[in-house]
Amino acid sequence: METTDSRMQGRDDASLLLAAADGDLAALRELYDRHAPWLSARLMRRCNDREVVADVVQDTFVTLWQDARKWRGDSEVAGWLWGIAFRRMVSRLRSRKQVVLMPEWDAGATGVLPAAEDDVLLGVEYGDLGTALRRLSPEFRAVVQACVLDGLTAREASHLLGVRQNTVKTRLHRAKAQLRDALADTTLEGWR
Amino acid sequence: MTGNATAWHADPALLSAYVDGRLDAVLGASLERHLDRCAECRSAVGPLADRSLLEQAWSTVRERAESPAPPWAIRQARRLGLSEPTGVLLAAAASLRMAWLVGSVVALGFAALATAVSDSTALWPFLLVAPLVPVVGVAASYGPADDPFEALAVTTPYGRTRLVLTRTIAVLVTSLPVALALGLALPGPTWVAAAWLGPALAMLPVMGAIAGFAGPRLASAVVALVWTGTVMASVRALPETWPVEARQQAVYLLLAVVAVAVILVRSRRTRRIGVVL
Repeated sequence: METTDSRMQGRDDASLLLAAADGDLAALRELYDRHAPWLSARLMRRCNDREVVADVVQDTFVTLWQDARKWRGDSEVAGWLWGIAFRRMVSRLRSRKQVVLMPEWDAGATGVLPAAEDDVLLGVEYGDLGTALRRLSPEFRAVVQACVLDGLTAREASHLLGVRQNTVKTRLHRAKAQLRDALADTTLEGWR
Repeated sequence: MTGNATAWHADPALLSAYVDGRLDAVLGASLERHLDRCAECRSAVGPLADRSLLEQAWSTVRERAESPAPPWAIRQARRLGLSEPTGVLLAAAASLRMAWLVGSVVALGFAALATAVSDSTALWPFLLVAPLVPVVGVAASYGPADDPFEALAVTTPYGRTRLVLTRTIAVLVTSLPVALALGLALPGPTWVAAAWLGPALAMLPVMGAIAGFAGPRLASAVVALVWTGTVMASVRALPETWPVEARQQAVYLLLAVVAVAVILVRSRRTRRIGVVL
């Protein structure tokens, strides 16, 4: 791997993306170094086929290179990239008739004891939500995972999960209601 | 929102458990939520990730980024959902190039103008030119002399019939809207604007059938001459819409059916690529 350009390292994602839109390959390289590792790790959690993940990462950055101008400055570059990558993977797996490996919900954190920091993490991000999520039925969890955590639309989730769009909506609605009940007094902004 | 929403950062053990797939879904999901907002933890994933996978993907990304962007026409074809090879073949068709398109629009425009200024007493210039535009366009789309790809086309396993049909559709898509719009703008009965489609569509298989015997250049010349003769003969004695009236349309339909039958029979007999079309 060639050495990264030190000029690029101090710049933020937005300005790198603008540079990439103008055809700056060094900016693309820096964006790749910043985002490809976590993207690939995150994709690997959903599909354990390395070839598919490599293809999706590659497609994502080719799309970035071609469509950098389409990025509207109102969202984070990281979130935008994840949106491209995961949609790519969904359509790819669909055409290959492969299944996405949904993360294990019941395995527990095998081999990793939740350290104090992990409790903080859960505390900061979800509170009791983690427990509530674990109590959902597998179908509901899959919908919550696809629509809420991975940010797919109902239509994309229905392709991914192989159920009808209305089923996705109903399940999501019920899952949210169940979570609300479970959390009774915890407020869930943005979930309604 | 970038970066330090919290002072908390994932420790290396947690991150490597995440990368190795050892975190359960809830913990993983909450870590992903944190990663969304924390550039520091995202970059901490860097050293843990699968380097060979990243190298492999990067080499393709760089290759694609360094290769020049495909021409406008091919990008449009890809946007319409066609594959890249089909896009290249379409773009190479002489009749889809800008010069050809401009030429046919200008020819149609003059025909329409001639019809318009003659106070609708003479529809013939438009009736003469409009059906010939797609026919000649299709003929040129597989004429060896006009196609820089011809040498490649005859040696590729891409079926020639498929190539000709794809290009025919492309020619129709590009030339029909203009001709229809001009036809509607003309004086005279409105149905004429659509009626010339009859002979236009009938001439395509007829030309295809003749091309199987005599080659596309001669075929298009024959068809064009016959059509010109038909239109010009009707100018003096018959009503101006004669060439596109119902009885004549039936004749065109019959001719088209015969031509399609000839093409089908010939393609059954000779399975050699490029003989029939």
